[in-house]
Amino acid sequence: MEIDKFSNYPFLTRTVQYVADMGTPVDNILTSRSFDITRYRARSRVLQAIHGDIQHDDTVNFTVELLSYAVARIMVSCLNDAFLTRRYSLAEAKYAYHMMKQENNEVLQEIGEDLHIVASVTESGLFYLHFTDYIRGAVRLRSIQWKLVNRILNSGYVSITKEEYARLLQEAVRSRIIDALPLNVPDEFCQALEKYLLEIKASVDISRTEFDEAGFGNVESEHFPPCIVHLISNAQGGINLAHSARFALTSFLLNIGMSVDQVVSLFNVSPDFNEEKTRYQVEHISGSTGTAYKPPSCTTLITYGNCYGKDKLCETIRHPLNYYKRKKKTGSAK
Amino acid sequence: MNPSTVLFLKRKFQGHYKKHPPQSPPQLNQREWGFLMFDPGSGMYRHKAFYNNQEMHEYIQAMVPAHVYHSTAYYEHPSASTMKEKSWLGADLIFDLDADHLPNVPDSYKDMLKSVKNETLNLIDFLLYDFGFKENELHIAFSGGRGYHIHIRDQKVLRLDSAQRREIVDYVSGTGLNRDRIFKKKTIEGDSKRSKVLMFPSESQGGWGKLINRKIITFLQILVDSEDAEKNLIDFKAIGKKKAIKIIDTINSPAQLEQMKNGNFSALSFIPADFWENALDQIIPTIKVNIDEPVTADIKRLIRAASSLHGKTGLKVIPLTLDELSRFEPLVDAVVFGDNEIMINVIQPSIVELKDERFEVEEGRNILPEYAAIYLMCKGAAEFMEVLK
Ligand code: SF4
Repeated sequence: MEIDKFSNYPFLTRTVQYVADMGTPVDNILTSRSFDITRYRARSRVLQAIHGDIQHDDTVNFTVELLSYAVARIMVSCLNDAFLTRRYSLAEAKYAYHMMKQENNEVLQEIGEDLHIVASVTESGLFYLHFTDYIRGAVRLRSIQWKLVNRILNSGYVSITKEEYARLLQEAVRSRIIDALPLNVPDEFCQALEKYLLEIKASVDISRTEFDEAGFGNVESEHFPPCIVHLISNAQGGINLAHSARFALTSFLLNIGMSVDQVVSLFNVSPDFNEEKTRYQVEHISGSTGTAYKPPSCTTLITYGNCYGKDKLCETIRHPLNYYKRKKKTGSAK
Repeated sequence: MNPSTVLFLKRKFQGHYKKHPPQSPPQLNQREWGFLMFDPGSGMYRHKAFYNNQEMHEYIQAMVPAHVYHSTAYYEHPSASTMKEKSWLGADLIFDLDADHLPNVPDSYKDMLKSVKNETLNLIDFLLYDFGFKENELHIAFSGGRGYHIHIRDQKVLRLDSAQRREIVDYVSGTGLNRDRIFKKKTIEGDSKRSKVLMFPSESQGGWGKLINRKIITFLQILVDSEDAEKNLIDFKAIGKKKAIKIIDTINSPAQLEQMKNGNFSALSFIPADFWENALDQIIPTIKVNIDEPVTADIKRLIRAASSLHGKTGLKVIPLTLDELSRFEPLVDAVVFGDNEIMINVIQPSIVELKDERFEVEEGRNILPEYAAIYLMCKGAAEFMEVLK
């Protein structure tokens, strides 16, 4: 990979080494006038991440772009807010995906190697990788075509298209970024960035309230069964839910009294959120009465791999709705 | 189980373990062990760890547990009492095939084990050809009870988490199989007109595609080969006499068959979708493998130790190579106890099929060879009375 691409992939081992070799002291970057633009670009990265996608900015040069990633991570670490960290990591990964899709095979392979998802390219231009590497990324992409059973698996290897490979790498980038956050940053760093941090925090708070208002209302989310809690956190983490999971979650929430609007906005963080389509689906499940479809039973959830984190109470019920009812009862009896 | 039965079984197990102790799994010092005792209500002994074989053997000699398990997982501190302190390092990939998880298993112990063995062989096909594991990487064992286990310790799988292992489970069990991707009508643009061609996966494609291709063809061949082929075909919805004859001709043509193996079913495009759906409904259950799914997805499970004795049967957990598996007769080869005559008091009328013998016992006093008596006592169907010779 040419060095001039490093700024596109600041999370790679080689890039990190390159930045370290530049030897620019961090406090310099955080305070010196000459790094104004870098800090400003970092601020944009984070703010854009909160609201959706990081936009490419071709007015800034290579070094600014490269270092702004480091500064953005420091900002996120200073605030140390789970919601922000999640949004930010996802947005950085999507930003990288956008560029990876356009790379030639060799560059893509090099990135893949760095992320430990090694692939070779077949004569027909497909990416050929070991199934364990495949499922490490694909397991988080919950739509049915990513399931291993729907892939051609031969002697331990799966072949996928270039775009699919880039999508798997996006997942790996996301985990690499989120796993490393928050960084251990000294207070002086955060003080130096205070003006940006206030702005970012305000933006996070707004975004979170929007989310909460659309959130659970009177519904007592602490009584949700583990599977539903898990699905919600996946949905909020921007993970695409499989069809069966989406249905289970939507029908459950509608049944316990959430409105269509509230449920729609819950999905409003996934990478490919499509308001109209989501609304259509939720309304369909809701019907005119709000309860056209009963949520699936535990058995069905188990069959589709959506039962997650089963606890003691789960052993006494067969339906997630009963979990909720029981917990509510014992909760109020206390 | 009364105290004298407990004592008798412990003596017998102890005697066996003296000469043939259980085997340690690789990385012994990173495994947790667990034991269930004969004494009723004594609960499970967990969080044990051993640094060498001798320590493990001495413990088993002294405690004489009814069941011996070790963790599939590797831990930094296997004897710590909480998962967090144990610090998980990885886990073997495990498959548990058990009669309880098979549809329509026969009642007789022998036949039941036969069908579990078949299922195990089907799973092994998936593991070798689809997943690419090598034969010597499959550590197969008769469980001593109602089935077989397979342990895989390839470096690449050890660190897979539970959700990732679930994908492997879903693969072998066909869960989430997207039927729309299996057979599709492909539109081909010709010179002047467009035509629709029915495509299935090809035989050379591997995995589920290959198996479905083969089974669909077999399914059609069986239909066509029967004496009343025409009538049988007409029984399907939307297939009349003309179509039935056309199907028979197509399947009987070697050239067409070759095309079909390559996934091109265009000669049968006239068959309605219902028919194919119906065929898939019948075929998929014959391809999928029934395993105890949570076992594979669980990365912190305990599993029966190789060469230990199963406390509910007295049979031995026997490690097997693939070759040995095909020749293996569990109810002969896993019997370790002798033929001395033992008098027992049978509580539940039972049938014992072991060592090619069959004993039917009624309630009350019975005299049986030791291996059969131990089997019934382990099951809780009899109590010990005395050793006759
Ligand atoms: S047992 Fe039922 S309620 Fe509990 S986690 Fe599983 S699916 Fe949800």
